[in-house]
Amino acid sequence: MRMKTIAAVFAACSGLMLAAGPSFAQVKGDAEKGRALAAEVCVACHGSDGNSLVDAFPKIAGQHAEYAFKQLQDFAGSRRDSEVMRPIVDELSPEDMANAAVFFSTQTAAPGQVDDPSMLAAGQRIYENGNPDQGVPACIGCHGANGVGNARYPRLAGQYPAYILDQMERFADGRRTNDKRLMQTVASRLGETETRAVAEYIASLEAQK
Amino acid sequence: MNVRLPVIGLLALCCSAAFAQADAQPRAPGIESADYVWNQPDKEKDAALAHKADIEKGKIAYEVCQGCHQADASGRADAIYPNLAGQHASVLIKQMIDVRSGRRDNPKMHPFVGDWVVSVEDVADISAYLNQLPISTENGKGSGNHLAKGRELYDNDCASCHGKNGEGNAAEFYPLVAQQHYAYLYKEASIIRDGERRNANPKMVKIIKHYSNDDLKAVSDYMSRLVLPR
Repeated sequence: MRMKTIAAVFAACSGLMLAAGPSFAQVKGDAEKGRALAAEVCVACHGSDGNSLVDAFPKIAGQHAEYAFKQLQDFAGSRRDSEVMRPIVDELSPEDMANAAVFFSTQTAAPGQVDDPSMLAAGQRIYENGNPDQGVPACIGCHGANGVGNARYPRLAGQYPAYILDQMERFADGRRTNDKRLMQTVASRLGETETRAVAEYIASLEAQK
Repeated sequence: MNVRLPVIGLLALCCSAAFAQADAQPRAPGIESADYVWNQPDKEKDAALAHKADIEKGKIAYEVCQGCHQADASGRADAIYPNLAGQHASVLIKQMIDVRSGRRDNPKMHPFVGDWVVSVEDVADISAYLNQLPISTENGKGSGNHLAKGRELYDNDCASCHGKNGEGNAAEFYPLVAQQHYAYLYKEASIIRDGERRNANPKMVKIIKHYSNDDLKAVSDYMSRLVLPR
């Protein structure tokens, strides 16, 4: 147990170092090859167009190709842990990853589903203003108005609240560390209710591509 | 069975402490130490100052800052986040590196300005980008009740470094204070007077040492209303 903990901390630290200074050069890929790969490999969890049907798996339709490509590379390089994704990316070449990332970026995300509309106002406040007393930046600063994101910060609009909550938990407890510590800081400073509220608000966002 | 729970709890505590440690701001010697020299050479600061800054890259690198300091860099009137628009690049570089190295205490900001987020070049690019942004005139101001007193204090004690119009001095690393939020000016002036802002210039500490809170409020209000000549 103790060894495992120490190993986890080491893994987290080395992940941090590797995660520093990534390049965000435009990803070049073949969307048609990506479509074929998606139909064969990704479809079971993410759906053929990246609109997954189950909230355990993120929607990746409309996600920025640069961000998606980096995540695939991070799974492959053990900078992002996922028991599900790891064996899958092990079978992919960098070219496959680029093709898939480009294909999904061309797809249209389905609207999200809000579970608890009573939390939307509080969620919007956090999204747009952060929590200055706790040193939480506004989400809008990086993820943009309407959760549209960019090559460096993921598109969030319409994502499943359960997936957002799971990732925030992983950032907060140090299981996910491929974020230059930014989301680790944010997630550890946000309260549980605030996190839930902002996840609901993200689900309500409908970003234009 | 019940023995394991506390053990797991203890390990979880150690683990979270390890993470908290990783995120904690370091503490570098500051004004409280006997051999403190204000604005002494610093490898990172000097490299950032020497870097040929790129405003377009600065705009992109600034994304990580704008969740707090706002897209137009106008900050917030309530003393939590200062206005950064129009500030001298040299001042911004020095302050960012001081937070990063732990000479200026700011544990909230520290995780966002570490070298795992922004490179030395990014620091220079962000500073150049901010320097050329227009300063908002919507900044927070004081009561307006003691502006004559504020002006007298400012002209006597502050203007020789911070400039007649609050324009500061880029070459000397003296900040622009015109149109800064009143609450931020008051808070910083207070902690500089009290020796709590550890990267402060001892010359300034000496000058405002005898200021009362009302003096600081009056002069902060006056500075918040200074406008740079166009």
